[in-house]
Amino acid sequence: MPLIKGGAPVSCSRRFFADEETPPDPNDAIVSLGRLVAAGGDVFRSVRLMPADDPLALAPHIRRLDLIEIAFPGFRDGRGFSAAQLLRRRLGYTGELRAVGQVLRDQVFFMARSGFDAFLIDDPHAEEIVAAALSEFTVAYQSAADDTRTIWERRWNARPAHTRRDDR
Amino acid sequence: MSSARPRLAPETPKMVTAWDTATGRTVYMTPSREWSVNIADGAVLVGAAADDALAFAASDEGRATDPYVMQVSPLGEIDGREIIRETIRAVGPTNHPMFGKQAGNP
Amino acid sequence: MYRYDEFDEALVRERAAQFRGQVARRLSGALKEDAFKPLRLMNGVYLQLHAYMLRVAIPYGQLDPAKLRQLAMIADRYDKGYGHFTTRQNIQYNWIRLADMPDVLDALADVEMHAIQTSGNCIRNVTSDHLAGAAADEIEDPRPWCEIIRQWSTLHPEFSFLPRKFKIAVTAAETDRAAVRVHDIGLHIRRNGDGEIGFEVIVGGGQGRTPHVGVTIRDWIAKAELLSYLEAIMRVYNRFGRRDNKYKARIKILVNELGPEAFAEAVDTEYAAQGVHEAVLLPQGEIDRITEYFASPDLPERPARSVTFEAARAADPALDRWARVNLRRHRTPGYTSAYISLKSQGEAPGDMTGDQMRVAADIAEQFGFGDIRVAHEQDLVLPHLAIDDLPEVHRRLRDAGLAASNAGLASDLIACPGLDYCNLSNARSISVGNAIQAVFEDPEFEERVGPLHINISGCINACGHHHVGHIGVLGVDKKGEEYYQITFGGRADEKAAIGDIIGPALKGDDVAPALRRVIAAYLDLRKGPGEKFIDAYTRLGPAPFKEALYAVD
Ligand code: SF4
Repeated sequence: MPLIKGGAPVSCSRRFFADEETPPDPNDAIVSLGRLVAAGGDVFRSVRLMPADDPLALAPHIRRLDLIEIAFPGFRDGRGFSAAQLLRRRLGYTGELRAVGQVLRDQVFFMARSGFDAFLIDDPHAEEIVAAALSEFTVAYQSAADDTRTIWERRWNARPAHTRRDDR
Repeated sequence: MSSARPRLAPETPKMVTAWDTATGRTVYMTPSREWSVNIADGAVLVGAAADDALAFAASDEGRATDPYVMQVSPLGEIDGREIIRETIRAVGPTNHPMFGKQAGNP
Repeated sequence: MYRYDEFDEALVRERAAQFRGQVARRLSGALKEDAFKPLRLMNGVYLQLHAYMLRVAIPYGQLDPAKLRQLAMIADRYDKGYGHFTTRQNIQYNWIRLADMPDVLDALADVEMHAIQTSGNCIRNVTSDHLAGAAADEIEDPRPWCEIIRQWSTLHPEFSFLPRKFKIAVTAAETDRAAVRVHDIGLHIRRNGDGEIGFEVIVGGGQGRTPHVGVTIRDWIAKAELLSYLEAIMRVYNRFGRRDNKYKARIKILVNELGPEAFAEAVDTEYAAQGVHEAVLLPQGEIDRITEYFASPDLPERPARSVTFEAARAADPALDRWARVNLRRHRTPGYTSAYISLKSQGEAPGDMTGDQMRVAADIAEQFGFGDIRVAHEQDLVLPHLAIDDLPEVHRRLRDAGLAASNAGLASDLIACPGLDYCNLSNARSISVGNAIQAVFEDPEFEERVGPLHINISGCINACGHHHVGHIGVLGVDKKGEEYYQITFGGRADEKAAIGDIIGPALKGDDVAPALRRVIAAYLDLRKGPGEKFIDAYTRLGPAPFKEALYAVD
């Protein structure tokens, strides 16, 4: 299944281990939130969050993690968007944030803005899908977890300096 | 939600109906598995023939969307529990008869 | 009125282009209906009983002549010559071909309009007081904040796939004309103890299967904090709202299951945890820029009493009645706001033809400072008219069949499209609505009955707001027959209440005669002409009205 990161296919040697499986090398194992927290210390560095998981439970572990997967079970479950924003903006997570599960073309734009930088997509055309999805919009109003300059900022900076009166 | 259609017994006469994918208009499946906006062209089916026709309709996505079977009389007149709904689908809104099919406006 | 700049325009154009691609993929067969459905729904395209329906957003009900003329053009060219204004201040077209949708979205973009977020589980079109900026009783104009919320919620990266749809309404007047207590979030612009203007925040109101009146979780929050606070509410809802059952997924259920205090606490905790860099800060200059667009039009000074108008109304009883019923007090002497009722006897409530739209656009341009609103009662409003001009305005409306003198009265009823159009419906709304209107055919009788809101929905989804009608009518299906359940005592204003179910549902043909009896009972029982139906009901309770409803003629 193609994994797209930074606009290009990349490979990844890590895979998910269910709680009853024993991974040969913990460094290559993506584990559940429960397992990660239970293991404590610095055993794992990759975790998969399910929609109902509390992303803030990763706070004590966040510096050690360099891969967080967020699972999307279907088009209708948007909890992963909040999880991503919390990880990026509340916990300051800077490692890879990967969308897995049903990663649909028409949600990729929202995912990228929420802080995802990697997309695991079950489609041979995954690369084109991500590229197309990310080029459809050149503007956005709200600040989010990506580095898009918002319309509100652009408008403001486009104005001559003497008309700026940002008194906050 | 009432969009769930009633279950019909196998021996109940039925017609396959759907929406034309490009226009959205109500359509009925004809005996030659074409689609017509005119209910008079629709095939009256029972038993396995109705199931087959519905399965075909479901595979004909490019032309017809969201097919289902509706109850009709052996002569192909709308019948059964959803008579009001299906009459409105066939004829047009009751408050705006001029916008219905009879206005030659499929 | 707000005008798009290049950024607003770019977004709407890009969205239209995206949908053009999606429609092409559907028509070529590359996209199956299952995959296409959520995409079309994000652009307001439903598949209804007869055809595709397009719901066009009219943010906070604000129109201008160019927009209304374009809506007329779309009605004539792509539909069957009419459109339907909804209780969400939007317009719906009933007959648009899928293949034409992209062209329609382009035509909308030409006049700074779109169909973004008019369906789907996202933050829907923001609604407001249709008299905003004109009403004598408002603290300030709520529209700048509606526009700010529109921009903030448009393609929101985090809140576009919520458990369920989400509706926000804003009002700034003591008399609530925007029904803020029956929205997912209601914002009531108020002053705090220091006289500073901010927002009372109400959450968890809503209709549908389990109606609730919203609860206040913040008495007052400063403007600068509003968007960040809204994000906190939305995040709590997005994370914890139920997703296991569509009928329990609205925020009202979460608020109710947690309890309002616990919900408020969860929001406050989330809000307090937001870092500075997470706050949604809108530069003050940007707020000012948006606010400037809503500056009151330059209203030339006029005498408070218009001799021309007084003479004309003395000579023309029809004008006199229209003026008595359809006008609302304006804050500027010599001016008034007028309802254009879309509830003529026998017409589908809220429907308007392309020709009528052009007439209304012309009137607004010539006499109304180019300002037109959609009211959630499915009427239009001209918020700024000089009283001197009323005779001419009335004459033109009358010639176009738009001068029904019933604003706020019984025949100005709300009705959803019901089984004549809607794929989810149980029973027709329009026909039963027309039958009820006929009870009030005599305008003198109707005026004598006084203010009365009759709201009709064709199913429990409650698009016709039946729960908050003084009299509510809900279509139910009984073994293939159309029945209607009656409620009394609902209201959508600042004293919002959910109506009481009175008893067994009535057959379609029995509804109008039964309500005629109820009205007769009310006229007998009321303390005087000053006691409205809703007040008499509140005073007397259901018993006498129930008796009249089920009495045999
Ligand atoms: S209330 Fe029901 S019948 Fe009426 S428009 Fe809404 S979904 Fe359709």
